[in-house]
Amino acid sequence: MKRLLAAMVVAAAAIPMFAGVAGLPAPGDAGAPAHTRVAARYVEAGVRETGAQNLVTGVLLNYRAYDTFGEVMVIFAALAAVSAVLSRGPPARRPGEARPQVETSPVVAFVIRLTAPFIAIFGVMVILKGHLAPGGGFQGGVILGALLVLLSVVTGRGLERPLLPAPAARWLQAAGPLAFAVVGLFGLACAGTLLGYPAGPGADMLRAAMMLMLELGIGIGGAAIILWLFLQMRGE
Amino acid sequence: MGAALQNLDYFAFVILFCIGLHTLVARPNLLKKLLGLNIMETAVFAFIVTSGMVDGGAAPIVDGTVTGPFASPLPQALILTGIVVAVSISALALALIIEIYRQCGTIEADELKGVG
Repeated sequence: MKRLLAAMVVAAAAIPMFAGVAGLPAPGDAGAPAHTRVAARYVEAGVRETGAQNLVTGVLLNYRAYDTFGEVMVIFAALAAVSAVLSRGPPARRPGEARPQVETSPVVAFVIRLTAPFIAIFGVMVILKGHLAPGGGFQGGVILGALLVLLSVVTGRGLERPLLPAPAARWLQAAGPLAFAVVGLFGLACAGTLLGYPAGPGADMLRAAMMLMLELGIGIGGAAIILWLFLQMRGE
Repeated sequence: MGAALQNLDYFAFVILFCIGLHTLVARPNLLKKLLGLNIMETAVFAFIVTSGMVDGGAAPIVDGTVTGPFASPLPQALILTGIVVAVSISALALALIIEIYRQCGTIEADELKGVG
């Protein structure tokens, strides 16, 4: 009975979707309206208007900066919610149930310590070159966040003695929203609209600096948030 | 039928979406439900990114060394946003599952009905 119900739900979702995608233009068709109208405009004017050679970054930080602002707030809100849910309450294990003690393999610990500086440099490069090459704040932030998680595991540092000291971490976690607030208000002052970018040929450096600041805020904030999500879930 | 065969990629994503939906609906384990949700998200991301692809198109990085056609940058930027939102959903759901386990000692939906 339950299985039949599940199958019916799946069928009810699948049939309209199959019918819908059958009517779409073939994937990769350069003559589809999405390419001839929307994408062509971005490809033709994107570099001139945003100053970012990587058009994905141009769309993300300039044309659709509001969306990105919303996204930064979503991940920040997720951190706040996870902290609210997990920060109080009894420990995850029932009394008498010991924490499983597994020593980190010395080989793994050594290799992670050895590669850590290179991973960090790569993460910073991905953040800083986001407007020229594949990359950007989110990608670089995730690399740095993964590095911090790895180091936390290897060094065995949990919530009580975290890798980033707690008062600094609080500000770093808010780096994304703060960067957007600063750049948004700066745009309001120079271009007249919130998150506006100054126009004109002379403003290239200024626009690059604003984008770089957003990328740095997103990257640093993302890394700090990922580390904190991990620590909260690991507990103790 | 010809049009249907052209869109085989899209059909694959619909099937992936349905696998995720079935996991979400049929499995009682909350972790497996979350994995089903993640599979559904992946299907949607793949679908939207594919819709921005152009045959023989380059990545949308216009630095003068490559001349078109370029893949559409808009779906890629939107999906980057979507991935971050998916991460946030996963994190919050995992936190709630941890808390449910602390409070009730189980994460099976059918057992949770009796716990009250």
